[in-house]
Amino acid sequence: MTLLKVRNLTKRFDGLIANKDINLDVPEGSLFAVIGPNGAGKTTFFSMISGFLPSTAGTIEFDGHDITRKPQDQIAALGLIRTFQLVQLFKGMSVAENVEVGCHLRTKGGVASALFRPSWFYQQETEVRDRARELLDFVGLSAQSEQDADLLPYGQRRLLEMARALAAKPRLLLLDEPAAGLNTQETDALALVIQKINAQGTTVLLIEHDMALVTRIAQRIAVLDFGRKIAEGTPDEIKQHPDVIAAYLGVEEAEHA
Amino acid sequence: MTSPAITSTRPTIKFDRISVILWIGAAVLFAGVFAYGGYLITVMQLAMIYGVFCIGLNFFMGYTGQASFGQNAFAAIGGYGTAILCVQYNMEPVLALVTSMVVAGVAALVVGYPTLRLRGHYLAMATFALGLITYDISVQWTSLTQGYMGYAGIPPLGIGSYTIEDERMKLVCLTVLALIGLWISQRLRNSRFGRALRAISGSEPGAAALGIKISRYKLIAFVIAALYASASGSLFAHTVGFISPEVFGLHMVVVTFTMLYVGGVGTIAGPLVGAIVASLLPEIVRSTGRFQDVAYAAILLLMLIFAPKGLYAVGDLFRSRKVDKPETRA
Amino acid sequence: MPSSVELIQSLINGVGIGLVYGLVAIGFSVIYNASGIVNFAQGVFVMLGGMFAHTLLTTLGIPIWLSAIVSTIAVAGVGILVQILIITPMWVRKAPLFAIILATLAIQLLIEQIIIITLGDQPRTFPSFTPGGPLKIGEIALGYQLFWILGCGALMVYALTQFFNRTRMGRALRACSQNAEAAALLGIPVNRMLMLSFALSAALGAVAGILITPTQYTAYSVGGPFGINGFIAAIIGGFGSAPAALIGGIVLGVVQSGAIVFFGAGFKNVVALTVLLIVLLFFPNGLFGGLAKKA
Repeated sequence: MTLLKVRNLTKRFDGLIANKDINLDVPEGSLFAVIGPNGAGKTTFFSMISGFLPSTAGTIEFDGHDITRKPQDQIAALGLIRTFQLVQLFKGMSVAENVEVGCHLRTKGGVASALFRPSWFYQQETEVRDRARELLDFVGLSAQSEQDADLLPYGQRRLLEMARALAAKPRLLLLDEPAAGLNTQETDALALVIQKINAQGTTVLLIEHDMALVTRIAQRIAVLDFGRKIAEGTPDEIKQHPDVIAAYLGVEEAEHA
Repeated sequence: MTSPAITSTRPTIKFDRISVILWIGAAVLFAGVFAYGGYLITVMQLAMIYGVFCIGLNFFMGYTGQASFGQNAFAAIGGYGTAILCVQYNMEPVLALVTSMVVAGVAALVVGYPTLRLRGHYLAMATFALGLITYDISVQWTSLTQGYMGYAGIPPLGIGSYTIEDERMKLVCLTVLALIGLWISQRLRNSRFGRALRAISGSEPGAAALGIKISRYKLIAFVIAALYASASGSLFAHTVGFISPEVFGLHMVVVTFTMLYVGGVGTIAGPLVGAIVASLLPEIVRSTGRFQDVAYAAILLLMLIFAPKGLYAVGDLFRSRKVDKPETRA
Repeated sequence: MPSSVELIQSLINGVGIGLVYGLVAIGFSVIYNASGIVNFAQGVFVMLGGMFAHTLLTTLGIPIWLSAIVSTIAVAGVGILVQILIITPMWVRKAPLFAIILATLAIQLLIEQIIIITLGDQPRTFPSFTPGGPLKIGEIALGYQLFWILGCGALMVYALTQFFNRTRMGRALRACSQNAEAAALLGIPVNRMLMLSFALSAALGAVAGILITPTQYTAYSVGGPFGINGFIAAIIGGFGSAPAALIGGIVLGVVQSGAIVFFGAGFKNVVALTVLLIVLLFFPNGLFGGLAKKA
């Protein structure tokens, strides 16, 4: 079954075309990646899906709901949760509290319940804390749970943001360049976590620049270049696709040579 | 870097010991003022009233991370509401207080809904304008507000035939009310609701991505702050017995921000601690009237330049992290 | 309904006060463009201009032209003091926007209270720069002071435009407003430019205060309304060029005078502030979007 269906998605900025007629089908349960060289329009594509940027044309359908131009919080409520390339942790809150905020969509209660605290309130709070502990265990941050989130080193912030997103029990987890700025060791740890998340049944859509990471973990890959989708297939197919080599790998290898 | 194991256990130990000392200190101070009597009682009464205002301001500014320079508008609604209802219509003080709060809450809802979409300088100027509009109305609409003259003879707080006339009893009553305000603030902060507010303060994109309805939570925080401000305005009217436009002017904005900064922005007990400390300070140097405002403005400027996080270290100790420690659940 | 004479009269008065708002608005823009700071205490300079000039004129008996010049320089000095003592320390420490705004509010209260303590809280005024008048055209009366306001306003805008376009210092200030870091790399002393912007904007405020006092009054508390009205004018004018700010001021002044005719003088600030709220609500990025980009 297709969980995310993108049709003819287009974005223009003042005459400049950032995305042009992109079609994409992300099957439920898959670990899907969108890659492309810098400036290929990956971030634009990502922002439109997650509702942070309105599209110019085209439709986005998630789990049968049309989410084109829906506000972010409604998209999130449907189970599409994103992370950020520039990690957006909640400053002034501890690591555990950050994950607790992640439970927002899966919990209830406002001013009245906070004030009068019926018995379910305590039960829910216990569940929230247990869930946070579980998830911090899962990404390997339990030792830092009481620490201020802003004090974490860069690689761990990424992991924390991922744990926080998982707390919302996403149906589709959107990861925006999760390996950006990480060293090899941190990237390996991250790859492992992403694979574990997918193995537990969460669909993952990964936008990534790091070709090595993507070909290692993704089941299916779409390639963007100059705002268009130029290829889609399994990692092996993509690695051999002439257009991809020309547009992406060629450039990369030339740079690294 | 300290080892994680130590950082994770230490705060709770520190919290208990020092907070106990601080609370004992506060109790001793309170007992001293109570026994000494006289002018200090009045000072502490005002500290409690401003404390209520600051606890509310802290909701919007501290927890949610938004700036409003116009909360004095809602204090004016509370003060004038109480004065008009009690003096002109002989309404029960408690009823007048609650009625004014409802009016202030509705006003905050109506005004906040469009205003809170603004950001940066525009939000600051728009909220500041609210305070100025209210001030001008309270000066100009003389048939309702009696203009510069203000309202005198506002009855003290009480229920039915029982009124609190004794200054010490007034202080006790105000303290209890301030503590209730603090308790509510603490409860709301340590909940799903409070976490959502603090998440907005930490990162708006991050909060939106987790499904938090940002504008709605900002609005609720704004209304809560307005309710507190209105209550403090009413309490001022009942306690002092007199209000005028000046009470709720720019002076109030600067004084309350000074208190909030002294106590620590975003902490639970900070606003009340700040209100007490900042109220006693000018008394210690025995400055009065105009010089007091000069002192407040100077203190605030010094804090903004040299200690922008406020006496955060003190307030930080009151940050209880967990909602239901075993003892509260029992 | 008010008569047509009444309306024309209020239109003319509106242009007069609007020019004064325009001067304050230029003051806002000068500081904002140099530093990204909106100085909420801008109105205090207007108040100080009027108060200083009044004190020099009445207590010391100094002629008005000299009082005006001395007061303007003195207020520019106050502007520099504010910048050195408060703004720069906060700027260097990268204080958040909100803290700087709060600081400017505290400055306003501080200066107002100092004025009350030293000069008292009673409103005061002084006569027009030239005696006599008003000039009568039919039933419409034109006070001589209005011509002073028009003349000085035009002169200030002309001088400022020349300053920004023709002088080294003016061009350096403009460079700072476009990109402070690049300007610093080019060897422009950014901090000195910040000082210059405060001095300039304080002087503009002072001139506005001196010009308007004969037609109204001055008192410790007039700063707030002038500051807000200047800010509104700056928003209408788009925080950019001096002529645009002046036009913004005139638009506001005319609207306000009209409001006085219809609602009474007491509510002129309420009307202006309501205009502000409406403008902000319907144009959340400002009429020309000038402020939102940086804010």
